[in-house]
Amino acid sequence: MKRVDLIVIGAGPAGLSAAIEASSRGLSTVVFDENARPGGQLFKQIHKFFGSKEHKAKIRGFRIGQTLLDEAGKAGVDVVLNATVMGIYMEKEVVVRIGKAIEHIKADAIIVATGASENMVTFKGWTLPGVIGAGAAQTMMNLHGIKPGSRILMLGTGNVGLVVSFQLLQAGCEVVALADAAPSIGGYGVHAAKVARTGVPFYLSHTIVEAEGTDHVTGVTIAEVDHSFNFIPGTEKHFDVDTICVAVGLSPMSQLLKMAGCKMEDNPKRGGQVPIIDEHGATSVPGIFAAGDVAGIEEASSAMIEGRQAGLYASEYLGYIQDDTFGEGEADLDAALSGLRQGMFAPGNKGKVIEKTDEGIPVSTSLLHHGFVADDEIERFPGVTHRSGVHPVIECTQNIPCNPCQDACPKKCIEVGEHITALPHINEDNPCINCGMCVASCPGQAIFLIDEDCGDGTAEITLPYEFLPVPEEGTAGTALSRDGNPVCPATVVKLRTSKAFDQTVLLTMKVPKACAMQARFFKAN
Amino acid sequence: MSKNKGLTSLNDRSAAIPPFVPAADDDRIICRCEEVTKGEIRKAVHAGLWTLTEIRRYLRCGMGLCQGQTCAKLVKGIIARELGVSPALIEPATSRSPMRPTEMEVIANESEVDFK
Amino acid sequence: MKNTADVIVVGAGIIGNAIAYYTAKKGHSVIVLEKSEIVGNGGSSRNGGGVRQSGRDARELPLAMYGIENLWPGLSDTLGYDVEYVKKGNLRLGKTPEHLKILEGLAATGQRCGLDMRMIDGKEVREINPYMSDEVIGASWCPTDGHANPLKATLAFYMKARELGVQFLTSATVTNLKKKAGKLKIVETDKGTFEGDTVILACGMGARPIAEKVGIDIPMKSVLIEALITEQEPEMFPQMLGTAEADFYGHQTAHGSFLFGGSSGMEDVNADNGTPVTHSITAPCICRGIIKYLPRLAQAKIVRTWAGWMDHMVDGVPVIDRIDEVPGLILACGFSGHGFGIAPAVGMTVSELVEGTKTTVDISGLTYDRFKAKA
Repeated sequence: MKRVDLIVIGAGPAGLSAAIEASSRGLSTVVFDENARPGGQLFKQIHKFFGSKEHKAKIRGFRIGQTLLDEAGKAGVDVVLNATVMGIYMEKEVVVRIGKAIEHIKADAIIVATGASENMVTFKGWTLPGVIGAGAAQTMMNLHGIKPGSRILMLGTGNVGLVVSFQLLQAGCEVVALADAAPSIGGYGVHAAKVARTGVPFYLSHTIVEAEGTDHVTGVTIAEVDHSFNFIPGTEKHFDVDTICVAVGLSPMSQLLKMAGCKMEDNPKRGGQVPIIDEHGATSVPGIFAAGDVAGIEEASSAMIEGRQAGLYASEYLGYIQDDTFGEGEADLDAALSGLRQGMFAPGNKGKVIEKTDEGIPVSTSLLHHGFVADDEIERFPGVTHRSGVHPVIECTQNIPCNPCQDACPKKCIEVGEHITALPHINEDNPCINCGMCVASCPGQAIFLIDEDCGDGTAEITLPYEFLPVPEEGTAGTALSRDGNPVCPATVVKLRTSKAFDQTVLLTMKVPKACAMQARFFKAN
Repeated sequence: MSKNKGLTSLNDRSAAIPPFVPAADDDRIICRCEEVTKGEIRKAVHAGLWTLTEIRRYLRCGMGLCQGQTCAKLVKGIIARELGVSPALIEPATSRSPMRPTEMEVIANESEVDFK
Repeated sequence: MKNTADVIVVGAGIIGNAIAYYTAKKGHSVIVLEKSEIVGNGGSSRNGGGVRQSGRDARELPLAMYGIENLWPGLSDTLGYDVEYVKKGNLRLGKTPEHLKILEGLAATGQRCGLDMRMIDGKEVREINPYMSDEVIGASWCPTDGHANPLKATLAFYMKARELGVQFLTSATVTNLKKKAGKLKIVETDKGTFEGDTVILACGMGARPIAEKVGIDIPMKSVLIEALITEQEPEMFPQMLGTAEADFYGHQTAHGSFLFGGSSGMEDVNADNGTPVTHSITAPCICRGIIKYLPRLAQAKIVRTWAGWMDHMVDGVPVIDRIDEVPGLILACGFSGHGFGIAPAVGMTVSELVEGTKTTVDISGLTYDRFKAKA
């Protein structure tokens, strides 16, 4: 029978990272993936990633995918696509379907990085065509160029629900509302804010009563729920929609690990059935490792580090590391991973109500309940300051592991500090040169360059703009506030693009001076 | 037993559980592949099938083309609610090869594949 | 739950459940102890669902014939749960002259015992089942054989027995048997101690170490059996199928999927890793076998494969007997991979052994003392 040092199952962020690490340390490595393309979910991710430099922050997901593929190629990793692993049998034998045949192959170590699949909730009419997973909608839009629908309701306000809602808007769909049975938004506030300011309403403590339609979705009714998740009569709201996207979490696809005899546990904090693993990703079966979402639902950024870790430990397990590079690699990866697991959204904080930021500032309740920071809340955050001339206003109000803004500013005008989750603050001593790098590099699209008083009764606001068509200079329109409501007339006065901005257009609009701290989005008339 | 204090194990299959009460959503399909409804699952629990495996074997929910990837969590939740226990107490379904439905002629074809 | 009953049954497979049902129906209190978390975890969920007489050893044939004549036809109504029993015959197929020789031997045995069973040629095979390939040159044909759903039948006996007040305790491993004043009464488990006037071991391979506690050794070994199932297919044929070499067997279920059991030839020596995991070469072997007989199924998708250990008695038939030297002990084990079809009859018969009445069916060939040294 064929035998290699390492079989990696899944060519997503975790699997590819694992294979690169192992292969570069000399292990004969083969990666199987059932899909026609490698990269797992990375190639669907058209948004810029959070994190720090070592987490590839501010880079769009699909570009990270391409980099990983290039690295895998250089490291000599053999990625076999359209290769469905059917089972893991005794003695680490893997049976894989390739084309019209099956192959038996053994390995001395196996890294399972099979990812996750979307959860579903049931409601009346949930089996109607038109009810789809948010991830499925993302696949349709971003991989196949198909609009999932015209008018869409999103159920779920975790990061997937928020990010996909924004991408649906980018694809030209109308998102009528986001609903969530939870009393507050589950994902990053900045993701919610960029959806809210386009005018999409959020309905928290609301869920779907019924999807209407006979052979496909033609409408949806949502209603408010009480603390026990029972509907409150009289709170029903109806929307005409043709599509309902469901973003209610992911479940690890851990069946192969269970079949291989790994000890499993049901851990709601990690998303369901997961293998019991040590800090190296090692399962209870010697030589079988798990990395990425299959070992517990997290972000692609952490999956890449977990993959590197599993690759490193598999190399060590098979005796490919004899020098002290193991310790170094181990420490670096541990540090990188722990950086991502800090802040308000850290795995340990799941389900906790957080009232104050690490800096002691009360969090925005409007952001948690409506998706935007209210006018009377925004001034208390350290990124929001006032001075004459153009200066950055950073509407970043939650402790999340992300700091590209600090590196982006060539004048060191923005500081996050040592703790990656600290709120960015403005260094008043350093001048802003209006270069726009901070605006383009913020994955949360939460930085604005504002000249509050141009001297003629107007103010100019530069915002990140990622919609098509891009309005031309001179276009007259309406400025929308953080809540998506029109606040004043606005005119586009400048558009900037640059390779460094990576497809983010910096749109500068002129508004009446009084609206400088309200106007946050431009809508052409 | 007059009052159900909540089961701590599911081993005594004669232990009292809350009574079956018909619900408005009993006709809702839970397993799409095999078209199994919530009411069927709830009734099976009251007939003594207290594990995911027994429910699957009796009703076929989770036995279709997706092998329960979508409904396993939902079915588990329904069983748990019916028994008045945490879903963690319900054992997970067994994982079976092949992970994806595979034609007999493919499984039968163990020819050497050159994937280099 | 109580820890005393008239009868303690060890094993909640189809045999244990059927015994519990028929015994409870006669008015006895019954406790069933099951090692697994799941009811029906053993061979009951790992077989092809055959309800057949053909091909059976003459010693257990009476049980099969009685069950098919008297119990299976009304079983769904009796139990109140559909067991999907279909009585449309069994084709045991042959492709070579050697196969036909085997089949002729089996047919002769059946005929000697009064079974309607005969040899047919390839043409007649295809008249009965037009999907059979031209490679099939003959078969034994038993029109009164059939099949049922082993998962549902096992659970149906369980659910009905439970309705009759039988107490089931799962995840209970028997650790010891003890006599009380010369009679076997006590069953110790990791979940407590139970007492009954009769203790029935109906737990397959598990019966061997338990019976050893009271000085009884049952000469059986464990053999891996594997099964697989396809996706739903259009309705094709109702017969139960088997082959001369028993390399596969199965039928199309009421659901439309095809359920097959089979082997790779390695089952006697397969490593036991503690879990009933399938062997990587078995499903391919079974599929190759099936396609040769039934080319139409080549593109049917397999959705699951599974495996389990069966209790193979040294002479291929079970022990169903009240053990004289250990008063209070009844054995019903060693079904050797063909217990499903006779399970209702075994349940009824054992309930008669419990009462000490003469059994309706002749089980004189299945006694335990057949293994003692012959003079």
